[in-house]
Amino acid sequence: MPEILVQYQAEIWQSIEETFIMVGVSLLFAIFLGLPLGTLLFLTRKGQLMENRIVFSILNLFVNIVRSFPFLLFVVFLIPFTRWLIGTAIGTAAATVPLSIMAVAYYSRLVEQSLVDVPKGVIEAAVSMGASIREIIFKFLLVEARSGLVLGLTTSTISFISYSTIVGVVGGGGIGDFAIRYGYQQFETELMMYMIIIMIILVQAIQFTGTTISKVIDKR
Amino acid sequence: MIKLTNVTRTYIQNKTEFHAIDSISLSVNKGDIYGVIGRSGAGKSTLLRMINLLEIPTSGEVVVDGQELTKLSAKKLRLARQSIGMIFQQFNLVNNKTILDNVLVALELANYPKTERKERALEVLRFVGLEEQIAKYPGQLSGGQKQRVAIARALANNPKILLCDEPTSALDPNTTREILSVLKKINEQLGVTIVIVSHEMEVIKSICNFVTIIDQGKVYETIELNPKGIGDSNHTPEWFLQQLRDGESHA
Repeated sequence: MPEILVQYQAEIWQSIEETFIMVGVSLLFAIFLGLPLGTLLFLTRKGQLMENRIVFSILNLFVNIVRSFPFLLFVVFLIPFTRWLIGTAIGTAAATVPLSIMAVAYYSRLVEQSLVDVPKGVIEAAVSMGASIREIIFKFLLVEARSGLVLGLTTSTISFISYSTIVGVVGGGGIGDFAIRYGYQQFETELMMYMIIIMIILVQAIQFTGTTISKVIDKR
Repeated sequence: MIKLTNVTRTYIQNKTEFHAIDSISLSVNKGDIYGVIGRSGAGKSTLLRMINLLEIPTSGEVVVDGQELTKLSAKKLRLARQSIGMIFQQFNLVNNKTILDNVLVALELANYPKTERKERALEVLRFVGLEEQIAKYPGQLSGGQKQRVAIARALANNPKILLCDEPTSALDPNTTREILSVLKKINEQLGVTIVIVSHEMEVIKSICNFVTIIDQGKVYETIELNPKGIGDSNHTPEWFLQQLRDGESHA
């Protein structure tokens, strides 16, 4: 193993752990809040089962506003809220707040788009069989859209990794932040390169896993 | 069995009213195979969808099996829909579910007794001749087989009525005949009342005992059909007669 990696071994492991925590928490929020929100966004669209202009407009506006912030500014903008919520605006835990909000907005849009791809006739067939909205969601919509939902989650995860490098400004840590602080800012180009390689491997592995799962569960 | 009284469906398009369905009344008796024919855009699919209220009429009454559907609560309407089966031109199966699961889901929705679901699903799949295919996915089947699955799904909960929206329009002539004979069998052996919408005279003529011709959202004429073909009629539209003649030359 290259000497420089050995030298910084402890810090590298810690930064990897921080990245996993930040991305993991974001993923949980994406799944448990982004998925329902995206489903609601879809269902309240014009011509859909729960068509509701007001609800749709509010959700749509929320998603658009969050996503139009440059992420760095979003992190800074949220500092008072983060401090109020978890008592501090600094550190890995604090960094998960803006990341999670962004994750919800990001994934809900991808969920909405996957659901739009479900043929309208399938929903119509479900209604004709006397399905309730809940049953339509769980027994038809999510089943038929599942490979798109997995691909969307894969894309989201990779974006969250990228976003997580920015939360270095509030001491979030993580591999990206480590590469910037130890590699770039202290002129350890070699160290920076190794960190980039680690990130490339990570992203490749995530994309491969996501693509494979989505293919296996796609019977269409 | 089905009684539509003065049903109307009006859309507002560019601030002008457009009557997709313009005050139509018709009644279907128990045991009928009732055809609705018309050119595309005539409003026949909209009319069919009023029978299970997929399309809500702007005005008029929809009485199915003694119930006025437009007056039912959402929950009661869902229950009523569970005894009205429906099949579609594009089959509308859940492609990520196996054939068996596609049928099982209909039984789940209808709260069919849990322990008897599988048995019932296999029974209807056997009825349509697909018992060998139950572990496959719709993507692995031909169009005709997919429509059979859709028929099995629609029949699972023992409906009294089966609505068919252009059920053979995506199929070739041989497969069309097969599907029509399945529909006929459903009517004869299970006593299910069938309403079938089609733009193909061949389809209507081969299985229906009544046909209503729809044109521009209105009933043009209702004709009783007998096995020899068309009954008495003196003002049948020319395009319709033409189709009838075309159908005869193909037969």
